[in-house]
Amino acid sequence: MRYGRVYVEDVTVGDELPPLVKGPIQQIQLTRYAGASGDFNPIHQDDEFAKAAGMGGVFAHGMLSMGFVAQALTDWAGAGTVRKLGVRFAGLVRPKDVVTCRGRVLARSSKDDLHLVDLEVWAENQRGEKVVTGKATLSLPSRA
Amino acid sequence: MPIRIAKGIVGREYPPFPVTVERGRIKDFARALGDPNPFYLDDQVGAASEWGDVIAPPTFPVSFRDERADSGAILRDLGVDISRVLHGEQEFEIHRQLTPGATYLCRTRVADVYEKTGKSGPMAFVVRETAVTDGAGEIVVTMRGVTVIRL
Repeated sequence: MRYGRVYVEDVTVGDELPPLVKGPIQQIQLTRYAGASGDFNPIHQDDEFAKAAGMGGVFAHGMLSMGFVAQALTDWAGAGTVRKLGVRFAGLVRPKDVVTCRGRVLARSSKDDLHLVDLEVWAENQRGEKVVTGKATLSLPSRA
Repeated sequence: MPIRIAKGIVGREYPPFPVTVERGRIKDFARALGDPNPFYLDDQVGAASEWGDVIAPPTFPVSFRDERADSGAILRDLGVDISRVLHGEQEFEIHRQLTPGATYLCRTRVADVYEKTGKSGPMAFVVRETAVTDGAGEIVVTMRGVTVIRL
């Protein structure tokens, strides 16, 4: 089952998130994301506009890549487990780029019924350049 | 000559606005990400889940907007053109899952504005915080975004 649950007891510091590969990015996905998110900045849609703005052409919404990182977390741990996700957009994602989301467990803590796992997360393009870097905290169930 | 931004907006609070989470918008958002998770897309899976319905993906609240207002209000207050704007950072803290039909209140304030010179020249950073609360006034989600303006 792809959407299984991860229990806090199954997690060890240093564990790596199964990588999630997204893309190649297509213009239609940027258009669809604009509609879904309400971010209609033409810099993500109109190549001439993006060039005139000095950006060298269209690039993806940072939030699209952040959504991919969130998916990497929920594919692994289950929907509804993300308690905190914070990222910096470190590089531009262009049409045709392939984005791979990764993560690593930094810490695990339990207090009463609350079981938290902290991870470092990042996304990189097909050249291994980081386009997103950040941290996440997941709230996981316990077998106990 | 670099453009100047209106730093006076630090501390400004925008009028609170209500949002109602719509089932179809949750699904559009998940599909736009290419995320087929059934807890977002399948009403039966949602109904059988601990939340009793489908839930929104973690980054969904970024779509919350004041439908009464023109979305360019903050840019206009800053005095900058959208072509100079980049998304620098974003953070979500999710206290409770968002489900369809619920109405929340969003309050956005400008927490900080600062300038720095990076590799690609002078830039201004605008930090915005949004608190999303339920009908009882309890925090459901908080968001913090940093908008970068190329000066």
